[in-house]
Amino acid sequence: MTTDELEQLLAQQPVSLLHRLARGRVHRHFRAGKRRLIELLLQHSSQNLAGLESDLQTLLAERQALPQRPKTPARRKEELAPVHPKRHPPPTTGGESETSGPAVSLANWLEGIGVPPPQPFVPDPWQVEALAALAEGDVVVSVPTGSGKTYVAVEAARRAMEDNRTVIYTSPLKALSNTKFTEFSRLFGTEKVGILTGDRQENGQAPLLIMTTEILRNLLYDAASGEIDVRLDTLGLVILDESQYLADPERGVVWEETIIFCPSQARLLLLSASIGNPQDIADWLSSIRTTTCRLIRHNKRTVPLRAGYLHPNGKLVPLFKTAAIPYGHPNQLHPEAKRLFMQYEEDTMPSGRPRR
Amino acid sequence: MPPSIHPVDLIDALRQKHLTPAIVFLTSRRACDEAMESFDHASVVLPPARQEAIDAVLQQVIAQYPSVADHPLIPTVRRIGVAAHHAGHLPSWKIAVEELMRQGCLDAVFATTTLAAGVDFPARTVVITQSSIRKARDFTDLTIGEVQQIAGRAGRRGKDQVGFAVVAPSPYIDLSVLTKGLTGHPEPIDSQFTITYPMVLNLLKAHPLEQIQSILAKSFAQFQLNRRAELLERKLDALHVQMEPFGPRICTDWITQWQTFDQARRQRPQRHQPRHESPELTARFHFMTPGRVVGLARGRGVVLRQYRSKGQRHPMISVLRPNGSVTECPAAAVVEIFDRVFDCEETASFPWCSAASFDELCYQLTELPPRLPVLPILVSHESAPLPDTVVQSLGDFPCPTCPSRPACQKDFATAHRLRQEQHRHVKSIQALRASLWHRFQERVDVLQKFGYLTPSAQLTAEGEWARLIRIDHSLLITELIRAEAFSGVEPAVLTGVLASIAHDDDRPGAFPRISPGLSSLLGQVRKLAESLSPYEEPPLLRADIAAIAERWVADPNLTWIGLCRMTTMAEGDLYRLLARTLEFLSQIHALHATHPGLADTASRAIALIRRGVLEELP
Ligand SMILES: Nc1ncnc2c1ncn2[C@@H]1O[C@H](COP(=O)(O)OP(=O)(O)OP(=O)(O)O)[C@@H](O)[C@H]1O
Ligand SMILES: [Mg+2]
Repeated sequence: MTTDELEQLLAQQPVSLLHRLARGRVHRHFRAGKRRLIELLLQHSSQNLAGLESDLQTLLAERQALPQRPKTPARRKEELAPVHPKRHPPPTTGGESETSGPAVSLANWLEGIGVPPPQPFVPDPWQVEALAALAEGDVVVSVPTGSGKTYVAVEAARRAMEDNRTVIYTSPLKALSNTKFTEFSRLFGTEKVGILTGDRQENGQAPLLIMTTEILRNLLYDAASGEIDVRLDTLGLVILDESQYLADPERGVVWEETIIFCPSQARLLLLSASIGNPQDIADWLSSIRTTTCRLIRHNKRTVPLRAGYLHPNGKLVPLFKTAAIPYGHPNQLHPEAKRLFMQYEEDTMPSGRPRR
Repeated sequence: MPPSIHPVDLIDALRQKHLTPAIVFLTSRRACDEAMESFDHASVVLPPARQEAIDAVLQQVIAQYPSVADHPLIPTVRRIGVAAHHAGHLPSWKIAVEELMRQGCLDAVFATTTLAAGVDFPARTVVITQSSIRKARDFTDLTIGEVQQIAGRAGRRGKDQVGFAVVAPSPYIDLSVLTKGLTGHPEPIDSQFTITYPMVLNLLKAHPLEQIQSILAKSFAQFQLNRRAELLERKLDALHVQMEPFGPRICTDWITQWQTFDQARRQRPQRHQPRHESPELTARFHFMTPGRVVGLARGRGVVLRQYRSKGQRHPMISVLRPNGSVTECPAAAVVEIFDRVFDCEETASFPWCSAASFDELCYQLTELPPRLPVLPILVSHESAPLPDTVVQSLGDFPCPTCPSRPACQKDFATAHRLRQEQHRHVKSIQALRASLWHRFQERVDVLQKFGYLTPSAQLTAEGEWARLIRIDHSLLITELIRAEAFSGVEPAVLTGVLASIAHDDDRPGAFPRISPGLSSLLGQVRKLAESLSPYEEPPLLRADIAAIAERWVADPNLTWIGLCRMTTMAEGDLYRLLARTLEFLSQIHALHATHPGLADTASRAIALIRRGVLEELP
């Protein structure tokens, strides 16, 4: 087949097939419209047109074997059939796009929506564990967003203050500091809580001080060089909220400095959203501080999460085949979501120009 | 079909399915504002009871932050129960929106993802319309961690049994980034430790130079570097084992012997055209081996082979780019060498690796995380070519009579490769272990050159006060102070200069004219910044930014609204600019012991800035 013939053949195919063909061949093929996709496919395989052609033929043959592919009944039957006729996926398709089992319906996906019955507040086991561990040494907490890290911070602060120790709570953003200032003032009373910013202090002698991490780093600089802030002697606990900022390209260094210079008698409590290597952080702390650092982590969300797809025409469908998010299986898309999204791509990129 | 769902229809759809309250993350502030405007003609109006609830909450917020009272969006928010929340707004307005959301008064908030990490209000549903965000000046795909941070806002403990993350596509979206983000495991984080001038001064103030290395060793950066070094040490051990069969023969160090001949042979024909190659490039070229991931000016690639160009003998590499193309480029064009090497089965002809490797590399290249550790490379300046006399004296190959020759000849290629690998590992390990210390010393050199440190690395009188300036562009600021650029200036002019140093956004806008005094001072600042550019990245130093900050201080009767009218800058940006300038001023104020006049000017400027909305928040 000549390049032109191949190009024509490709042009006759639906864009979904082209996307399958493009997997592993074209980077970010999802971004490309049909014409661009063909261009990229031919460009990529210019050295190996035969390979492209044979993969295309395989896909076409596969299609032929299932003439009514888009119609659900035929497919169902095939999928439910006990003996799976062995298909020959092209070598380039990766992942487990087609696993067995019917896809969830919208009604099932929406099931359970609403307000739960009120329940008395009982701390979660990981919260209790984190607080207990803090009695022994430093603690790193890495749990999903919205799990209740604030409770750990508040309780830990309360306990330290009951011991007549001062507490410093830092957040990465001034806005967040302000929110926490209001929140903590409400909880502990205004006389117990102060806030420090670059140019202002409010209640700077309070036992619980809120500041941004930069301000704390500066305090620690001053303490180290002898201009001793007496209050660092009574410092019992330093809470670094949102400590995944450690990886911020510009500001991350401030978190490291703060941790390195943190007085040894003060406990460190690092609160972080889910990150990939919290154990590394804990190991690091253990290696440089006087106590061993405990890691409290879990990945399970307290409120289960579901993912959906909303088409521009207002049609809402589940994003994945299962109601719950299929962790570890990004390709288990709901067939309806997949179809709508491909249609979306085809409709929105008629010019075929790459988007970026 | 429209490229994305109309905001009114979106909110309708969410309401119908009881998916409210929702946070709708949009690509830009502009998109958020336009979404709000699109409700102007919408007929749906909140029932009076809900409007009153909104009023009640707003009254509470206004009691604390009066500037909220005149916010032009209040009527819209009341009418439709939807608000916008982004960095273009004043902090007080954002607090109001957050409070409304927390009290359950709103059905939806349009927000930008830049705030995803800082926003402290959850919702039942999160709508995601994009898969990349603007970072610095470029769009980058969201990381898994970021997708989860965004989606994680869905589902409030105690208020929801289930949370929903809904993808509503807009142009530019890459669904696979989102599905991977939702189902994946967050990326490991890497240290971003850098050594700054204030850090050096403050460390040396508190500790003698001998102790610094052990302090740097406490960083997470060093912790991670050590891990990588340990990995290489294990590889090195394995190499030792592999090298066993190539131990001493007739010549104890036959590999070096053969290598010298090899080098001499290759050197001879080119002795006449000396190469002007920097030692940096030579050292880096060493690491550009097949399979190595490198960063180029535009994106990344995997090295497929290295070679020297014909004629000029420039170091060159063939690179596989993420789009699957193979490009030839000079090694000098490589901006970054990453600590990541993929397996690559080399072949002798285009595309320089086996088809399987090629596909695999293409795939791996697209799967790379946005941030990769960079390989620290030490430059040795002594890798001089063999002296001519040595080359001459070598004459021809003297081995023909040696009994070991066939064995040596056969093994040389392998042994040489293994040994090179060994050398490379040893060098890498050295670099990994010592790179922070080297960087520290580089900074010390600069500070000594400028007279902040003595030759024995103690703080000079200048260093003693300079260490109190702990902000970006600290070197420029301390040098300006030493050059007495600020002596006798008005608070407004000092504010203007500091604002233009503090501001790092290049978003264009319309601004008032600058005063001649400030303008000429800025010229001086620019010159100095330019001359410092080898040591510190110069700030943007925008005159328009300086002018607007100057106005605010120069005219105490100017109202916030009046100031906002002078510029097209969003009021949130204006607020942040002045807040950051305040921070800079307060650092200058800290110099009152050594620079009383300047500190006084700074404190007068601080007092003048702090009025109106700039007084509301601590
Ligand atoms: N043990 C618990 N039982 C019930 N609700 C809880 C519990 N712990 C915390 N909560 C509630 O969970 C909600 C979220 O908590 P919080 O803001 O502390 O989360 P977070 O982990 O700090 O999240 P983020 O990552 O957004 O900072 C709060 O409303 C809090 O009252
Ligand atoms: Mg929190």
